[in-house]
Amino acid sequence: MGNGQKRFRIHRMLRPTVLTFVLFLIILLVSGKGEAGDKITIGEVEEVILMPWGVRLPARIDTGADTSSLDARDLKVKNNIAEFRLPNRHGGLELRLPVKAWQNIRSADFKEKRPVVEITFCMGPKMLQVRVNLNDRSTVKYPLILGRNALKDHFVVDCEQTHCLPPSCPEAKPK
Amino acid sequence: MLDWLWGVVSLSILAPVFLFTPGIAAAEEKTIIGGVEDVILLPWRMKLPARVDTGAAKSSLDAREIKVQDDMIEFKLPKKYGELQIRLPIMGWRHIRTPEGLERRPVVELEICLGSKRFLTLVNLTDRSMVKYPLILGRNSLRENFLVDVKRRRLLPPRCPDTH
Repeated sequence: MGNGQKRFRIHRMLRPTVLTFVLFLIILLVSGKGEAGDKITIGEVEEVILMPWGVRLPARIDTGADTSSLDARDLKVKNNIAEFRLPNRHGGLELRLPVKAWQNIRSADFKEKRPVVEITFCMGPKMLQVRVNLNDRSTVKYPLILGRNALKDHFVVDCEQTHCLPPSCPEAKPK
Repeated sequence: MLDWLWGVVSLSILAPVFLFTPGIAAAEEKTIIGGVEDVILLPWRMKLPARVDTGAAKSSLDAREIKVQDDMIEFKLPKKYGELQIRLPIMGWRHIRTPEGLERRPVVELEICLGSKRFLTLVNLTDRSMVKYPLILGRNSLRENFLVDVKRRRLLPPRCPDTH
């Protein structure tokens, strides 16, 4: 009798806790599914890992830019190969990549032609291959600008967050 | 008596979780918008296409014939948008670094309807005749309400109550 009462008592004691837990789980599930299809939410700035070199770069996520661009110092193009260096504060790595195209840039008062190369990088769980144009961006805060060509297939942008998705591709594990 | 007490205690411990969880859910309920959206400028009910630009820190509007009078500003929208004459109080000045030097732009507060959301936001005024869209929505306008999916455009025709 006493035993039964005790069990009953434990049951009632746990009831609010169990109820809260179940509700919590349901809400988590529902809110998780409420996202934009299968798209991944990223912030206004994200860290990416440039492959195969494993260099980490912060990238400005820019829905206002049609294409992406990379800060390239000491840029030289010879026989359709672009030779350049990443900025020193990001390791100054020297790169040689084939030029895939040339891009005309219109700005307020001058026209510019920039070489376009293809880079591979890891952002969040995704390994992406994206065309970027090369130019000296020493006046700009971020060495990589990811425009709509990089974002349209997998990502939605939430400006309230930054660095919300550390790169996690299995191929891009730090050594 | 004891189990009743325990119920109250455990509930009060878990109450923050209770209260916090819908908060998380609400944060995820931001409206998804595309790379370009039509918005309605209130109270004039003027429809404008806007470039949704996470690369811009602040929003800006294409303003022509800007005239400053004390703490008020008068300007016109571009011809394409009826040269609508607008008069608003100046909320501040924004200094912009451009290749030609420092530019000083007046900042005003606009009421905008985007999708079902109606909100006030600060925009700076500048002659944008070179640019395709008369309104740029920067991060200051997007932060609280929206997620941007650039694969799509004009996902959400503006339909705030009292704007039609």
